[in-house]
Order: sequence, then structure tokens, then C-alpha cells
Amino acid sequence: MSGIVCAVRGGPASQPTVSRSIALAAETGLPLYFLYVVNLEFLDHTASSRTHTISKEMAEMGEFILMAAQAKAEAQGVQAQGVVRNGVVAEEIAALCHQINADYLVIGQPQYQSDDNIFTAILHDEFIRRIETQTGARVVLPEE
Amino acid sequence: MHTQARFYVLISTLVLAGLVLAMPRQSAKGQGTEATGLLTGTVYDHQEQLVADARVTLQPPGDTEPLAETRTQADGRYALSVPQSLPDQLTVRILREHFEPVVMVLDAATIQSLQAGQPVVLPDTVLARQITASFWIATLVFIGMLLLIAFGKLHNTLAALLGMSVIFAVSYLGRPISDELFIFDFRGALRYVDWNVIFLIMGMMIVIAVVERTGMFQWLAFAAYRVSRGRIWLLMLILMMVTGVASAALDNVTTMLLMTPITVQIALALGITPLALLIPEVLASNVAGISTLIGTPTNILIGSYAKLSFTDFLTNLTPGVLLAMVGLMIYTQLVYRSDLRASDAGGVSSLMMEKLAERARITEPDHLKKAGIVGAFMLILFIAGDAIHLIPAVTALMGATALLVWIQPDIEEMIEAVDWTTLVFFIGLFIVVGAVQEVGLISVIADAIGQFVGSNLLLAVIVVTWFSALLSTVIANIPFTAAMLPVVGYLTVTVPGAQSKVLFYCLSVGSAMGGNGSLIGASANMVTSGISERAGYPMSYAYFFKKGFPALLITVSLATLWLIFHFLIQNPATP
Repeated sequence: MSGIVCAVRGGPASQPTVSRSIALAAETGLPLYFLYVVNLEFLDHTASSRTHTISKEMAEMGEFILMAAQAKAEAQGVQAQGVVRNGVVAEEIAALCHQINADYLVIGQPQYQSDDNIFTAILHDEFIRRIETQTGARVVLPEE
Repeated sequence: MHTQARFYVLISTLVLAGLVLAMPRQSAKGQGTEATGLLTGTVYDHQEQLVADARVTLQPPGDTEPLAETRTQADGRYALSVPQSLPDQLTVRILREHFEPVVMVLDAATIQSLQAGQPVVLPDTVLARQITASFWIATLVFIGMLLLIAFGKLHNTLAALLGMSVIFAVSYLGRPISDELFIFDFRGALRYVDWNVIFLIMGMMIVIAVVERTGMFQWLAFAAYRVSRGRIWLLMLILMMVTGVASAALDNVTTMLLMTPITVQIALALGITPLALLIPEVLASNVAGISTLIGTPTNILIGSYAKLSFTDFLTNLTPGVLLAMVGLMIYTQLVYRSDLRASDAGGVSSLMMEKLAERARITEPDHLKKAGIVGAFMLILFIAGDAIHLIPAVTALMGATALLVWIQPDIEEMIEAVDWTTLVFFIGLFIVVGAVQEVGLISVIADAIGQFVGSNLLLAVIVVTWFSALLSTVIANIPFTAAMLPVVGYLTVTVPGAQSKVLFYCLSVGSAMGGNGSLIGASANMVTSGISERAGYPMSYAYFFKKGFPALLITVSLATLWLIFHFLIQNPATP
């Protein structure tokens, strides 16, 4: 099995990443997997015991976000699958890359000005090195 | 044998005789030392608050052993049983941590009355506050806890537990070093835990846990879309109303946890930014939640402390909340008018709408029906319970139990659904706030506000409402409200006309609507922001402040006007 994994968060900031992955899938002919990770760390300081309630809702929201990406891919003649996972974002991306033996991983550029971003600059670079070493997938960033 | 027998009979007779003779003598001695007189009185602090657990002794002048000793009860009263034989000079000493000791010399007439076995009522004693090292320690712990919560450095519950542990550590480990380090012991701390609040929240959590799994919120949100027929401005208004009503019946955090994901999906399907719907929803949640006793944790705190019933909140606050909601709806329509207009040009994704329609259904109709029936009975009991002294915590527990017995869900799941961390947070919070109350910080704040407002009720209404609202934008409103309760209680007693408890409603309005002033002002804001950010629509502090702070100004102004009209003009209390 092989393919392209595209980690999607949704929103306008994810559009370049989605577009890049669709273009890559069209170029290579590899199957495309859009990944949304349900991460509930934001509840740690407010409602940590509500994760059971919210995780199902968040997973459905993730499916919905991926549906938009899949529709966009389909409009460009690319079939894509949506995958929703629960857990730590970096770990789940790596796990899916392992699982499908991914050739490429398309992820967004970290927004350095945002405290909420999953990756800081250092973590982002470390993550890219780790993924490329562990899974053999080549990490692709959208063009700025 | 005969002589021996007579000897035993004699000995036995002597022993019995001795016992018989001894009995009256023992009685006489007992009478001589038995307490016959009763010395009673009441102890207050300088703010006329009753002082419990003060040590009261009756003793001769000098450093002598007390002849009688007792402690004041929760109502500040003491009753000393005094022996009949008393010296000619006597003092009553009242000792209480964090207060200056008081020594009263009894006059001859009082002592004679006591010697005659007559009850004596001493004049009320007023204790003066004593600021010691414990005052500063408890204050620092309280501020530290607020900062840890505000900056998200620790989970709320951990912050409260840490604060509580430091208070106990200082009290128990510090006392052998210096009495000034003592704040209170475990028994004293438990006096400050309001179990009504704990059990009411727990009962409501169980009810909510059943309701939230029925799919009701998803169904309601999608129904709002259907009713609006694609008119986004109308959708926004309906979603605000749905959120407001749900927040008044349940709690804001649960409401927003369940409303946010479905709202994001509706917005995406409509091709608009989810923030244009989420911000109005969360603002409405914070405003409308205070219409009922159970709508917000702050109302539960206020209701329990001030003995305000479910009906009290409905009759005295709901009209003000409705007024504020109207203002908020107009404001949000204006603020998001460009987004609403832009959406008219955007297309609706039919594929997404089909998916939404498929998901937006009641998943457990039987549970929802039963929850509705139990909820209706609970509402009746909440409203009528006041007449039979049925406290809301008992109603909530009975309702929760009835629901569990009726639907018999997986009990493990239900137990997991109870937010135990929040309950522990409340216990820790009560103890930390109790510590600052114990050492006198709350009295200092109450004095300062009391001096500022004087006897002007209008000024007190404005100060309490706006002070609460503005502070709630930067510090967590639950600890703030818990700390303000004794302050408002003091003002309610001292400000003429405040006996209507208007200032407690001001605290409710300020602490809840103040949450709209900043992203960290309310837990509902934080969970909404968290979900929105994970959908790719970050809700920054600056963005929330820009939209939320004007909403605070509008809603708090309208609610203040209502409170002034209702309590000062329509129903002024007789001072």
C-alpha cells in the first residue's frame, strides 16, 4: 500500500495544504488520504471530564471538514478518502503514514505568530525529520 | 463458722451502711459543684457578622484556670454553665483566632445573680479584627490560585487543591512555630464548604449527561437552519435563542460543547465563517444562563448563600435578561452584517446539508421523552419547593435518581459523566475562599466597598454590578463570585434598601455577563474557542475582546437599568 497523507485542520489556513495534496495526487496518481485528528487537549483546563461527550461530536465535525476537502479533490478529478483519528496530532499523523506506507505527507506551514499552533518552528522541523526517517515518507509543504 | 459468718455480715452491713451514708454526702458534694447559673451572650465582628467557634471562658482575674468554658455556635451565641460557688471577682474572656481577645469584668450584681442561680445575658460582644501573618499568607494563596487559573498554568481543580493544601500545611505545620500562622483547622475549613452547591451541581450533571446523549442539541441546531430557510440573520437569532434557553436550563459549558461542532458544520455548509454564528451563540449563552438558579454555577453559589429560590431568579432577573438579549441580538446583527450579507452570495452545499440532515436526529427518543417528563417535574419542584422548604439540591438529586432508575443507563458511564473534577474544584475553592474570609481579607474588601457606597443603594447597585462585570473579564468568575458573596452579604445588611437582596442579583449579572468581556472570562468561551480553533477558525483574544467587550457594555447596561427600575423604582424595599 502507498499513498499521500494530507493532514487537514480545516479553515482558510488549510486550503493551500489541501490544494497542494490534490495537485500531488493528480501528478503521481497515488491515492490521497485526508486526515483530521480529534485532539481534546484544549479541555484540560476547563472541562477535562467532558471528553467522552465531545469526542463523538468533534469526530463528526472532522468528517464534515474532510468532506469539503474530498469534494474539492473530486472536482479536480482526484478521489480521496477521509480518515478521522483521536489522539495527539503528531503521533496520529505518523501512525497513518506507517499504516498506509505513505510516500508523501503534506502538512501546513507552522504559523509562528500563533500560540495555539500544533507545531512551533523547532518542533515542525524535528517532526519532518522524524517522519522522513521513521516512515520513509517525503514531507511536502505548500508553497508560500 | 458462726463467728466468721457474723463477721462477714458485719462487714457487709458496714459496707452497705457506708455506701448509704456516702450517697447523701456525694449528692451534697455534687450539688456544691454543680452548675446552676447560666451566662449567655452573642459574639459579632465589627461588620455585625456572627462569629462562630470563639472560645469563651469564665475565670477569676489573672492567669487562672477557667471555672467554665464553651465555644460560640454558628449563630454566634454562647451559653456558659457556671458553678454556684463563685469568687467575688470574675471575668469573661473571648478568644478567637484572627480577632483581638476581649476580657469583660463582671460587675457585682451580675456575679450575685449567677451565685443565686439566675440566668444572665451579657451585652453583645464585638470582636475587632487582628491582621497577622496568616492574613498575608491566605491572601497570597488566594491571589496565586486566581493567577494559576487565569493564565491556565494549572487545571482549575489542581489550582484549588494546591491552594487548599498550602492553607492546611501553613495552619498545621506553622502553628507549632507561631500562633499567627494558624488559619483554620480541618473542622473549621469544612464549615465553609457549601454542600447544597455541591449536590445541586452533581444532580444536574447526571440529568445533563442523559440529555446530552439524546442528540437534542444537534436536532435543535438543524431545526434552526430549517426554520430560517437560508436567511442567515434569522438563523443567527434562532441559534442565539436556542443557546440561551439551553444555557438557562442546563449549563453554559455543556451547551456550548454540544452546540459548537454542529454550528461549525452548518456554517461550513452555508459557506460562512463559523465565527459569525459562534460568537453570538456564546455571548447569548453567558447572558441568558443567569435567568435561572441552575443556569450558571455562579447563580447556584449566589442562590445557596443568599437563600434565593428558583422563582426569585425567574421573577427578578429574567425580564432583565430578556432586555439584555434584545440588545445583544441587535448588536450582533450589526457587528456581523457584512458576514451575513456575504453569505447571501455564497452557495449552500447540498451534499453537506444532506449529511447534516442525516445526523441531526434524535438518537435516543425514549430517553429524551423520559428526561422531558422528569425535567418537567423537577421544574415544578424547583418552583414550588420553596413553599415546603425543599432545597434545590434535593430536587436535583431526586430528579437525577428518578431518571437513572427509569431509563437504567450504564451506571458506569453515568458516573463517568459526572464532572468530579468540578465538584472537587468547588470544595477546594470553598476552603481557599473560606481561608481569606477567616483571616479578614473579605472584611477589608467589604469595608472598603461599604465606605465607598455609604448608604446610597443606587451607587451600590452600580458598583457591585460593574465591579463584578469588569473583574470577571480578567479573573475566573466562579472564585470571584464565591469571594464576593460575604462582601455582598455585608452590603445587603448595611446599605438601606438593599434588604431586597438586589445586590446579589447585581453580582449574578456582573459575574456572568462580565464573562463576555474577554476570552478567558468564561469557561464557555474557552471551550467554544478550542473547538472553533480545531476547525481551522481560531478565535484569538483580540478578536473575542473586539466583539465581546461592547456586548458586555450593552448587556450589563441594560440589565443594570432593569435592576434599578425593578428594585429601586417599582419595588423599593423599606429600609
